[in-house]
Amino acid sequence: MTSPNHEMIECPRESDVLDALASARWPDRVDTELAQHVASCGICQDVIAVASAMQADHEAAWRDANVPSSGQMWWRAEMRARQDAIREASRPVTVAQAVAVGLALSLAGVAGWFAWPTVQGLFAAVFPSAASQQTSLLASPIFLPVAVALLAMIVVAPVALYFVISEKS
Amino acid sequence: MFSRELTVSELERLEAVATAAVGALQMDEDTFRAFYDRTARQVWAYLARITGDRTLADDLLQESYYRFLRAERAFDNETHRRNYLFRIATNLAHDRHRRAKVSVSVPLPEENAPGALTDSTDLAADTERRTDLARAMATLKPREREMLWLAYAQGSSHEEIADTLGLKKNSIKILLFRARRRLATAMGVRS
Repeated sequence: MTSPNHEMIECPRESDVLDALASARWPDRVDTELAQHVASCGICQDVIAVASAMQADHEAAWRDANVPSSGQMWWRAEMRARQDAIREASRPVTVAQAVAVGLALSLAGVAGWFAWPTVQGLFAAVFPSAASQQTSLLASPIFLPVAVALLAMIVVAPVALYFVISEKS
Repeated sequence: MFSRELTVSELERLEAVATAAVGALQMDEDTFRAFYDRTARQVWAYLARITGDRTLADDLLQESYYRFLRAERAFDNETHRRNYLFRIATNLAHDRHRRAKVSVSVPLPEENAPGALTDSTDLAADTERRTDLARAMATLKPREREMLWLAYAQGSSHEEIADTLGLKKNSIKILLFRARRRLATAMGVRS
């Protein structure tokens, strides 16, 4: 077989050479004809050099390999599969909790909005003098939204922080 | 903040989920252990040589088998199963390589097992040969290292190499030829 620029990329004797290497017949126990072919074939010379070095390295790597036992590997995989499954199954619970907190905050905001005139009336009845001094501040149209936003920040910020930290961990 | 006591029914549900996850693994324990004993050293050697890092090979070995076990696939035969395992290992090594953006180091060969080579001259020559090969391998692209290892260290066929590396079978011959020539040049075998 040749490459697009007509360079030989494959030799028909390649498999014979690999067989000789694999069966440890190379170089001493191969027939003369194959030895002569290799001496004149650049592809087979490369195959011999590369394959013999890699096969020797493979044997050495096999000896060096210090892999965990199959029982240990099974146990770890089993534990991890359990943990992953539990984590995945627990995720909807966490999301439901976050939704519940969000709903509770929204409800509290709405309830505060409707209860605000009553609170103002009570405040004026209990502290008439203080109420007259602070009326301008409390009666300001932006006071309530700002107060609700601040309250929400105080409650929501730790919740958000919790989610960020738990996602990272 | 959200930690709370789990109810008994929730605990039972999670236990059932965990048990189902173990039941959904690719193989039962006995089959896995036999398969692992047949393949683990080969996968480790492959990972160690294509990454050039023994510690990384240890990590990737575990991850490969775990992902293999969790794969929802049916295999026709042992060869197909092994090829898939090597494919997972290859992809993991690629991911790690991309994330680390580092070139492959040259791992120094460890000492041979006692008794493996008795003669000190043999030992020195063997270590030198392996270091030369590691240096030469480090000059190749990851895909070339993988291909050469599969072809010449493991004796995989072109079809198996294509299956493992996700390449077209027809392109293996030319790619293997180029990789082999580059390695031979790096080893100083050809000018």
